Amino acid sequence: MGRQIVQWLDNRLNLGPIRVALLDEPIPGGASWIYIFGSITLFFFLLQMVTGMFLSIYYSPSTEHAYMSIQYIMDDVEFGSFIRGLHHWGASGMMVAIGLHILQVFLYGAYKKPRELLWVVGVVLLILTLAFGFSGYLLPWDQRAYWATQVGINMVGTLPVIGDVLIRVIRGGQNLGAMTLTRFFALHTLFLPWLLMTLVVLHLFILRRVGPAGPWDAAQAAHISEPFWPKQVAMDAVAIGVAFTLIASLALLVPAPLSDPANPSDTSFTPVPEWYFLFYYQLLKYLEGPLEIVGTVVLPILFFLGLFALPWLDRRQGRRPVSRPIVMGAGAGFLLVVFTFLSLSLYEVASLPTSDPSVLRGKALYQELDCAGCHRIHGEGEAFAPDLSYVGDTRSRDWLLQHFKNPQAVVPNSEMPEYGLNEEELSDLTNYMLTLKK
Amino acid sequence: MDASEGEGRRTFLGWVGGVIAAMIGGAVGIPLVGYTILPALKRQKLSWHDVGPVAELEPGSPKEIDCIHSVTDGWQKTTTKKSVWAVKDGQGAISVFSPLCTHLGCGYRWEGDQRQFYCPCHNSYFHLDGKVLGGPAPRPLDTLPVKIENGRLLVIYKEFKAGTPAKIEL
Repeated sequence: MGRQIVQWLDNRLNLGPIRVALLDEPIPGGASWIYIFGSITLFFFLLQMVTGMFLSIYYSPSTEHAYMSIQYIMDDVEFGSFIRGLHHWGASGMMVAIGLHILQVFLYGAYKKPRELLWVVGVVLLILTLAFGFSGYLLPWDQRAYWATQVGINMVGTLPVIGDVLIRVIRGGQNLGAMTLTRFFALHTLFLPWLLMTLVVLHLFILRRVGPAGPWDAAQAAHISEPFWPKQVAMDAVAIGVAFTLIASLALLVPAPLSDPANPSDTSFTPVPEWYFLFYYQLLKYLEGPLEIVGTVVLPILFFLGLFALPWLDRRQGRRPVSRPIVMGAGAGFLLVVFTFLSLSLYEVASLPTSDPSVLRGKALYQELDCAGCHRIHGEGEAFAPDLSYVGDTRSRDWLLQHFKNPQAVVPNSEMPEYGLNEEELSDLTNYMLTLKK
Repeated sequence: MDASEGEGRRTFLGWVGGVIAAMIGGAVGIPLVGYTILPALKRQKLSWHDVGPVAELEPGSPKEIDCIHSVTDGWQKTTTKKSVWAVKDGQGAISVFSPLCTHLGCGYRWEGDQRQFYCPCHNSYFHLDGKVLGGPAPRPLDTLPVKIENGRLLVIYKEFKAGTPAKIEL
């Protein structure tokens, strides 16, 4: 049936040449597991597109509703936590795949003539992906999002002359608020996807025009040549299957984080960026005072200029790593710096107080109101009223909020007094209750 | 490798790609369908609302009382005040009527001297027990779920389709 449909279409649209262009591209040296990373990156981009489109069905890009709409996706929408998990972990997966893809191209010297344009478009794609990560981080409008974005945008302010103007343009006004959220939402869901898609097509077009580089050993490259279909396609498919299984497992087992709602007046929150910005975040800690601008402006500009210019900086014949000691040394040095700062940062982040301030306040409130006079948590407290040890598993946020507001409206015979808590106290106590899980 | 062996290998590798694509498609596609459709099909959760002490109701004398109606629209929750009619009969049984006429959903009122409910939109009349006495109303007044706890009357507010002989919950 499928074959007949393809045949029917082929007879009318003459698909043969397109199939040849897409699938029969010869790979010098034959198919290899080392070439899978570009395809994995493309797969993650498609996964991000699909899950992102579906997340926007329920997401509301306003400071009033963004947080609640994410909470709704996580708690009330069927498969919502899984879909958001795929989007959250898929972003990390895409960064890892891009990193490995760049590493492979770098190691194989595949950016050299005649593939300079392929490399340049690739570097632009890397920048766009980082912009995706930064703009998407703000959208849940929780404390993490608000404060990390605040710091990220303020770094732009260290730019001489245009810094202040640029900050206002990025924020959409004087403060990080409603205008920033709609800007970031538009950027993340409309501008960047189109731009990235166009450049992915250009990247693939250039690849098809210049052809894959193949092994760095010219004799080995000339030895055999194998078309992209079917062996490389099958290898890519297996690799994509493994990558997807990892991300889907993470999405199921580790829900995407959502901290307290953004609160511009709560300065006690320590913002931490997404892990792929952590090494840079750590680096900035060592560059204070007059050196700050080196970290925020000079180094990033030099780094990306260096990346763009790499095919023209490394012009010697031959792609063997041993014949390119300077470039290989620079690459290894860069990786050493990245992983050293990343490890230092992870170590410091791990030692930060991990408890949500709202949960701590809720716990304090529980003691202040002497809830243990009636309730028991893991054996502590009286047993007149229901045991709360695992109340987070059995009650929803809404139920708890309503119950604390007016216990008898939810449980008509309840003997629990009405404490007249304000909105913040209600939220704190509920957040604490929701942490009581098996 | 001869031609048939090569063809067999191509078919196998094609199958590998196809099976993996189908698995990923299913693992993402099925949750996405549920994610999109199921919340739209969910019925609203209705809750009991305390509308006051039962003792305030006098037999044979309907009382219009306020009832809080909570509407959940995704992540937004709004509460509106609705008035319902509570009636205690001679035996002490209590009925609570939806405030909307079963004809076209106008609000009706109690006419004490006539001892009947009257809807001014199209002149429908109802007995104290909700039965239609006259006019175009196709069914008796709609009763709401009630219960009494600790001497207080609890009601679930609902709305029903107007103009049909059968009572169809919206």
